[in-house]
Amino acid sequence: MTRLVHVGPSTATALPGDEPRLVGASDADDTVVEAFGPGRWVVHGPGGTDTWALNRPARIDRDGVTTVEVVVDGWRFELEVEDAARAALRRRATRARDTGTASGPLDVRAIIPGRVAAVRVTVGDTVEAGGSLLVVEAMKMQNEIRAPRDGIVERVAVADGQTIDNGDLLVVLR
Amino acid sequence: MTAAATSSLRKDRRATPPFRRVLVANRGEIAVRIIRACRELGIATVAVHSSADTDAMHVRLADESILIGEASAAASYLRGDAVIAAALTTGSEAIHPGYGFLAERASFAKAVEDAGLVFVGPPSGVIAALGDKLAARRGAAAAGVPVVPGTFEAAAIDRPDAVEAIVAEAEKIGFPLLVKAAAGGGGKGMRRVTRSADLPAALAAGSAEARSAFGDGSVYLERVIHPARHVEVQLIGDREGTIVALGERDCSLQRRHQKLVEEAPAPGLTPAERRDLHETAVRAARAAGLENAATAEFLFDLERRFWFLEVNTRLQVEHGVTELVSDVDIVREQLWIAAGFQLSDEVRVAADRAAEPARHAIEVRLSAEDPAREFAPAPGTIGRWEMPSGPGIRIDTAVEAGARVPPEYDPLIAKLLVVDATRDAALDRLARALDETSIDGIQTTLPFHRFIARDQAFREGPMSIDWVDESWPAIAANRRSAALDVATHAAAAAVVASTADREAGMSDESPEGRGSSAWARSGRLRAIERLPR
Repeated sequence: MTRLVHVGPSTATALPGDEPRLVGASDADDTVVEAFGPGRWVVHGPGGTDTWALNRPARIDRDGVTTVEVVVDGWRFELEVEDAARAALRRRATRARDTGTASGPLDVRAIIPGRVAAVRVTVGDTVEAGGSLLVVEAMKMQNEIRAPRDGIVERVAVADGQTIDNGDLLVVLR
Repeated sequence: MTAAATSSLRKDRRATPPFRRVLVANRGEIAVRIIRACRELGIATVAVHSSADTDAMHVRLADESILIGEASAAASYLRGDAVIAAALTTGSEAIHPGYGFLAERASFAKAVEDAGLVFVGPPSGVIAALGDKLAARRGAAAAGVPVVPGTFEAAAIDRPDAVEAIVAEAEKIGFPLLVKAAAGGGGKGMRRVTRSADLPAALAAGSAEARSAFGDGSVYLERVIHPARHVEVQLIGDREGTIVALGERDCSLQRRHQKLVEEAPAPGLTPAERRDLHETAVRAARAAGLENAATAEFLFDLERRFWFLEVNTRLQVEHGVTELVSDVDIVREQLWIAAGFQLSDEVRVAADRAAEPARHAIEVRLSAEDPAREFAPAPGTIGRWEMPSGPGIRIDTAVEAGARVPPEYDPLIAKLLVVDATRDAALDRLARALDETSIDGIQTTLPFHRFIARDQAFREGPMSIDWVDESWPAIAANRRSAALDVATHAAAAAVVASTADREAGMSDESPEGRGSSAWARSGRLRAIERLPR
């Protein structure tokens, strides 16, 4: 039986341009996924001629979304797999919410853990897409956190010297 | 015995260990590397650590350990007073600083000397003299060493009337040029300037960054030599003033002045060019009164000329490639020299052969960084950790499966080194070793190294030092996107397979020993990572 699933990178590993995809997968015939030692999965291609090594450790099931970590050729992805019909339903709900708040606030969140080395904006500042919001120091490197779009700073959620974790709210733009 | 005889160098090598107890003022793979050398020499070791490193490998391997502060480096590994106090408390005779942290702080070396302890490295006065890049440039030029064209005095950026003079000088040197920090290192305080209009702002910005990073805002100008390779010479000297070169390394694959791949010897040099380069480096070191281990860095241009950049007065991250080619254990040698011994016979023999090396070694730095996001830090917790093994492989690391890579420190997690008879063979071996390497839980630089190991252009010879910044982003985007394609189908197949298992009443938790039962089909799987068959 073939199932259609919706696969997209989780926010933890997604880059701009990574689009979610619909993929057909079935539990039959000529391609097999096989365990190869704890946590390592090998996918045999059609005809058994190709073998791929894929890492697939811990998975988290949440609300019908299964998060899978896959490492291919050293590139690490966290992928969210969801039944296609369910994903479509959810997308419609999200889109409805989006149109309601098209010019609504945008949360800028930390993509790396570290320490806030400098806050470059204050509430009320106008910023352009690509403009520096703050600097996060991690592993001896200064990393600029930039505005994803034009906007006005509604809130600055962190202060100089504060330690932050992945996903922490940094700045709210409107 | 005369006074001269008693003060002459000890030669009773290896009768007893050079020290009874040594404190290692570092963390990570280099602390482990030094502890291993000490253990082999019969020296007891003391580790220092921050509160984030209580379970770290260097703490577990040392004979004893002392907590010296909180997670941030400034509150722990950079606290010279706490390190010296720990050495005195534990009865250590010497402190090995490794690289980074306190390794090139002359004030720390001086404090160690003043406390009656031995600093494993050059004397504090030499570190101070060579740490001032401007003074080093002046010293090398005076010794007849060709230095990169540029200025020899700090730019007077605080005087508005001096700006005109600096711009005039810059135009004489020629654009593009670099603003560099006299106290610099690791690219901090550095600015590239392509026209004179941008110079004043670059001087101010570079100086401000240098002041915040090093406490010294002195900056100077250096011409950009482009294209160029980065070639450096491993130096080692004893207290008697004998200084030799153990060979050179090519470290041209860098991004923003941080090295990614290093190899020894530098490909494509003739024995005569090597001899000349080694001799030039020794001359620069001798002029500075160098002792113990250090590295002289040069740029190598298209006209096959070498230009002196600076001398690093520490053990380098990439010292291992020289060890694999020369058969000298540089850390052991550092300890013997620090204890007052002469250069060993092994070092002298290796130095004699350094112009005609019989082997080739390559090191790749596996770091917790995302090669698709300009090598941004990617700290986290390591899941799978499979390192290669077999002939000609050396792994220097301090992490393992389940280890946390903290955001507070350098992202380097392992150095993978290979050695073989020729560069071609070493590259084949590197490709094989990287195929065996498997890490998850965090993003690493593995994709970059996999690409380089099989890249035809790299096989023909090292690229210019700008290659990674200029050419890698586009390659990274393509390769990551192809990998994401495969990962998408694999994720779908794996989830459908495990759902089918659950529906069939099978446990998903112990997948071993299933044989080749057909579980899932996934369309359009394409070749990215192929297991050797």
